[in-house]
Amino acid sequence: MTPLRGMIASGLLSLSPLTALAEIPTDFQAIMKSEVAVGLSDGDLQKWDFSIRPEINMSLSDNIRLTAIGLARIEAADNLEPGRPDQFMRGTMSKRGYIGDIVEVELREFYIDTSIGSSYLRLGKQQIVWGQADGLRVLDVVNPFNYREFILDEFEDRRIPLWSLNLEVPVGDMMAQLVWIPDQTYDQFPETGATFAITSPRFIPTAPAAMPVTLNEVSKPNNFIGDSDVGLRLSAFMSGWDLTLNYLYHYQDRTVLFQSHHNNGVTINPEYHRSHLVGGTFSNAFGSFTLRGEIGYSTDKFFLRPDQDGVHKSGEFSYVLGLDYGGIENSFISVQFFQSIITGYVENIPRDKADNQMTFLVDRDFMNDTLKASLLLIRSLNDGDGVVEVDIEYEMQDNITLTVGADIFYGTKRGLFGQFSHNDRMTLAIEIGF
Amino acid sequence: MNEYAKAFPQTKAQNFFWRMIDLRWPIITLSILFLGLAGSFLPTMVKDTTSDAFINPTEPSLIYRHKVQEIFGLADPIVIAVINEGSNGIYNAGSLNLVQWLTDNIQRLDNIDPDKLISLATESNIVGTNDGMEVEDFYDTAPTSHERIEWIKNAIEQFPLYQGSLVAKDRSATIIIAELIDEAKSPETYDAIMELIKSAPNTLGNEIHVAGEGAVSGYMSVYIDNDTKTLNPLAGLVITIILFIAFFTPRATVLPNVIVLATAVGTFGIMAGVGVSFYVITNGLIVCLIGIAVADSLHIFSQYYEEMTERPDAGQKELVVRAMASMWRPVTLTTVTTMAGFMSLWPTNDMPPIQYFGLFGALGVFIAWAYSLTFLPAVLSLLPKRKSRAFKHKEKTSKSSRLMLSLGAKVLANPKKILTAGVIIILLGIVGTNRVIIEEMRVENFKSTEPLYLADKRINAKMDGTYYLDIMVETPDFEDLYKAENLEHIEQLQAYLATLPNIGGTTSIVDYIKQMHKAVNENDPDYFTIPDNDLLIAQLFLLYSASGEPTDFEEEIDGDRQLALVRANLNIGSFVQNRDVVLAVENYLVNHFNNDQVTGNITGRVNVDYHWIKGIKDSHLASVLVAFLAVITMAAILFRSVWAGLFAAIPVGMSILLIYAVMGFGNIWLGVGTSMFASIAIGLGVDFAIHTIDRMKELLADGKGSIESRLVKLYPTTGRALLFNFAAIALGFGVLLTSDVPPLNKFGGLVAIAIATSFIASMTILPALVTLLGPDFLVSRTRRRKFKPATASAILAVMVIGSVIFNSEQTQASDLPLGNDIIKNVIARDEGEFVTRNLTLALTDRRGKVRLQETKSFRRYFGKEKRTVLFYTAPANIRGTAFLTYDYPDVNIDDDQWLYMPALRKVRRISVSDRGDYFLGTDLTYEEIKKENKVEFSDYHYKTLGTETIDGITTYTVEGTPVDDIIAKELGYSKVIWSIDPEIWISRKVELWDRNGNHLKTITNHDIDKIDDIWTVQKIHVVNHKTGHKSMLTFSNINYKAAVSDNMFKQNMMRRGIR
Repeated sequence: MTPLRGMIASGLLSLSPLTALAEIPTDFQAIMKSEVAVGLSDGDLQKWDFSIRPEINMSLSDNIRLTAIGLARIEAADNLEPGRPDQFMRGTMSKRGYIGDIVEVELREFYIDTSIGSSYLRLGKQQIVWGQADGLRVLDVVNPFNYREFILDEFEDRRIPLWSLNLEVPVGDMMAQLVWIPDQTYDQFPETGATFAITSPRFIPTAPAAMPVTLNEVSKPNNFIGDSDVGLRLSAFMSGWDLTLNYLYHYQDRTVLFQSHHNNGVTINPEYHRSHLVGGTFSNAFGSFTLRGEIGYSTDKFFLRPDQDGVHKSGEFSYVLGLDYGGIENSFISVQFFQSIITGYVENIPRDKADNQMTFLVDRDFMNDTLKASLLLIRSLNDGDGVVEVDIEYEMQDNITLTVGADIFYGTKRGLFGQFSHNDRMTLAIEIGF
Repeated sequence: MNEYAKAFPQTKAQNFFWRMIDLRWPIITLSILFLGLAGSFLPTMVKDTTSDAFINPTEPSLIYRHKVQEIFGLADPIVIAVINEGSNGIYNAGSLNLVQWLTDNIQRLDNIDPDKLISLATESNIVGTNDGMEVEDFYDTAPTSHERIEWIKNAIEQFPLYQGSLVAKDRSATIIIAELIDEAKSPETYDAIMELIKSAPNTLGNEIHVAGEGAVSGYMSVYIDNDTKTLNPLAGLVITIILFIAFFTPRATVLPNVIVLATAVGTFGIMAGVGVSFYVITNGLIVCLIGIAVADSLHIFSQYYEEMTERPDAGQKELVVRAMASMWRPVTLTTVTTMAGFMSLWPTNDMPPIQYFGLFGALGVFIAWAYSLTFLPAVLSLLPKRKSRAFKHKEKTSKSSRLMLSLGAKVLANPKKILTAGVIIILLGIVGTNRVIIEEMRVENFKSTEPLYLADKRINAKMDGTYYLDIMVETPDFEDLYKAENLEHIEQLQAYLATLPNIGGTTSIVDYIKQMHKAVNENDPDYFTIPDNDLLIAQLFLLYSASGEPTDFEEEIDGDRQLALVRANLNIGSFVQNRDVVLAVENYLVNHFNNDQVTGNITGRVNVDYHWIKGIKDSHLASVLVAFLAVITMAAILFRSVWAGLFAAIPVGMSILLIYAVMGFGNIWLGVGTSMFASIAIGLGVDFAIHTIDRMKELLADGKGSIESRLVKLYPTTGRALLFNFAAIALGFGVLLTSDVPPLNKFGGLVAIAIATSFIASMTILPALVTLLGPDFLVSRTRRRKFKPATASAILAVMVIGSVIFNSEQTQASDLPLGNDIIKNVIARDEGEFVTRNLTLALTDRRGKVRLQETKSFRRYFGKEKRTVLFYTAPANIRGTAFLTYDYPDVNIDDDQWLYMPALRKVRRISVSDRGDYFLGTDLTYEEIKKENKVEFSDYHYKTLGTETIDGITTYTVEGTPVDDIIAKELGYSKVIWSIDPEIWISRKVELWDRNGNHLKTITNHDIDKIDDIWTVQKIHVVNHKTGHKSMLTFSNINYKAAVSDNMFKQNMMRRGIR
């Protein structure tokens, strides 16, 4: 470096925001994690990933706080999302970056928190979570999901954060949350050939024999304002009850696969469609029990059908009722019932009018919470299929956690869970925080 | 319609029993299942025959004694004496050899602390030499030569300390004192020693005796086992014979025995199931229950056979229903009153064995009642109709009936004479009551022919004594006991002790110092004094350590030379005699001993005994009063008349007075065993009055003619049943007279006399009074209103609870504030409207591995409602976790709690009944985290126990017991003891016991300072004794002044988190 360039550089540096940055109270943390999953039926490596998730918190002023969470992941087995997955369903600002096939980087969250009077604003890429149910989605649809590991991945990783405006305004004793999401990112399903690619005919239309199928490009909403989602939630705490009323006007996170039949075969036109969702949640504790529930009605849902244009439009009413029991020391037992009803049901839809699922969860802590064991069963009551997830987590030190687990699918290949019955797996993970 | 419906007009009760008989198979099955279930717990029954079992574990003198035991290692020993009455006493090769042999072999036994065994073979002589002093063992090997024996003899004679304590002053005896490692295993150890002695080398003229407190509790268990083996079958046999004589039928003999079996198995099965131990006196309960359990079926069978003679055409089922319908009421009444009698022992006593005697006695009576009213008719209805020879004719002319009838005729003809006799008995009782003395001597639990009893008397006659009164001497600083003035102070104390009665001798470090002083001065007796030079004293210890064992003085002085133990040997274990000694010593310590430099505290077994036995009088009076009031009230409620209540109390009152007279004139002490008689006698005795009044009321209500002519019918029917009832119970208790355990003996005899008195008074005084006075409540013709058992039992429950409260208030340490007031002050302590602070949690597991967690927390009062929120900031894996709680002032409104879990990004409502769960891996519960050194007032009953000095601060110790089982379950505790600093109303220490009564946790609060003018605990240390896990909570950046926004306590805030 010449002396002149050195001077310029130092001059620039002194002026640059970097020096100012050094003054800002900043907090940095990161979690490193490595997880291996081995298929039980074939002994193959389902995944072997190594990830680092850095998090920076900066207090830009007394009233403005910036949070940034990144993710860098190396997934050596490359079976979950083989090659570089298509990112059509992601908004421009929400795409992941790839280095080769197995290294990906993503800006997970990036937002500022500030308050305006008694209102509170979080602006930027973030996760917004609604609802009272665990794992069953009625109202938790503000953010789309990535199903690269179906539902086995942690919630934190499954949910795709979106660029959004999240404003909370107190209204009397209640709190109104206004959500505006101009980010056109939707659910991401693994592509054909991936370990957890969807094959159930309930979600993938079966092509008639010997008929050529043409799959057209996805027509995706792209108007920043016109295609954005909006939502409103009112929450209140009244006579011991936690209550919310929710409304969301949003694009359904899955494409609707319209079919057109013609002489040359079948053409499929995937499109995203809007719907209104109205609903609410409640929860309260009674002795050792906690009752939770959420209800929602979506006006425009599309269900596959083999005839006509391949889909049927109907309203869908769904709810979850959950009961938690904490009466046994160090233990947590939870049962949930989920039901989805197609209000305008017609024959030919490859599912029942009412689709029912149950979940059963037992958690138990040992040794002052350093050892945790959990068992989760999710079962479809219509198809009789389900999944059992068992986890044993050991906190070796306050920043090192080891986890051993198994995920077992069972039931019919046609079922939501049964379709993965060849994907049973054992997992082993280590997580280090620093 | 059922076949029976036509049989006869139905009363409600009859209807009920008809329906019950329809369900007989389920009833029989359930009864058998219950029996099997309860029986399955029986093998888990634990025996506890220690005398400490009788003492409330929170009794301060007991706690203090345990503390002293920890420092000086002096437990209840087993004392083995070798006695030789020959001319040289024990100074002969044979005796000395025997001592060596016993010492060696006893040291090898399990549960004997080999380092703490004291005998001639282990102790050392201190003698002067040219270099100063030498410590030489009395024995190298067992002495055989005449010279060596003479040397030992001379050494002992020159060593005053050992005279009387190790070797008898007349040389005829020497003792071996063996300390037990675990007092709970004393039965096995006692057995082992007794077994060992059988194979001891037999030399002419030597006797071996075993006594001491350790032996007493050890042998007690064996003794009682043997006693039970003969007692219980005998009681069963007696009852069976009575039943057979009463009815002459197999069914009436066998079925009540089945009920007895169910009662015993049910009661003791449940007792074992809930983990209550079998104590010395629980033995008496079996016999009590055998007698009581048959009483119900006796009355039912009596009625059944009477119905049979009156209605020869009725079917078996109808007879059973009729008998049940007319007997359920009196049987229930007597059950309730007997239960009240037993239950009154629970609140009025401090001694767990007696409390459980009351509680499980009541349970047994209840089970007997339940089986008699369900199982008995169910089985009876299955049997064919068979007559009893005792009830052959309609005119009841059995011998017993005729006997009762003639009694009735005499009573009703001479009411005035009867009453005069009654008055005489009452006067006699009042005189006798004043002569009753309160006394307890544990050795008197054994027959006077028992070897242990003889050993105790023999050893205590020869030696200084095997009962110990200890005084712990404390000085403020390190090595203060090297100061001559302090030692002289102790010497004076010993001199004073020697003047008291029963004290045979005393031991302390001063005796050793004097011996050493003499030794270094060429054994000149003039130097048997305390050196007047502090330095010389320290040097004596140093010199000693050159040739002696370093542990030689550990029973007299602690390693820091700051604490010393003065032990006085008493030769009798009598409460009355030792009471004077304890009081005199306490008085001396306060007025002549304690000063700035030295303080003394009295302890030792004798002191502990004094403290708990002196409570017997109060608890006895309280239990008699409560039982008496309970039965009067019950009877008043049942008969809807206060007069009836008092009327029913007459026979019972008389029986109690008569018992006092027997005790007073017969020199029977009111001790642990005998103190229970009154409540039980009241509960049982009132049954006779109730049956009698009930029947008299019936006879007077519908009869015609004179009162006498109507009342005479009482005798052949109810009178006859009561006669057998009386015989069953009195003989049942009478069986206790054959017991080898003298207190049970006396207890059984006293209850039997009381029952007899109640029976006779009910059959004589009551009818006589009615004839003379014709009281309104009996003679009036108004129809009896229906008895409502629910009302009665509710009132009983209220009374029992009331008496519990009354009693717990009464036993508060008198000059200290009430527990309730102390806790109220704690709760009222200012915490500031706001607080912001950081909290660091250091969690250490059993192996020493530490986890650190950082949190930031906020609290604010909204009026009386308290809201707290806590955010985890580190480590990364739990960062973001938040806990929010709304604590409402109204206890009837459940608190609200939420937990935010960052992994789910959801706020989860958590139920408050989990408040006894541990908070996120710490050793504190959710409740403790939320309450911050306070408690929910309504969760506990509080009782001030006394004071405790913690880090130089005098604190009030308050015991809290959860108000009920539900709360206990929620909190996870059966008992909490707070040591509360009255200056700041913050507990310095909290001890917590789990629901099984095990010591669970100790919480200590440290670094308590004033911050922003508010007393604040900055460090909380929690040790979980069960898991070995520890938590240290450290608060920092505490700020009470910065206002905390109410938004901080909203769920949104938990989601947002704070950084």
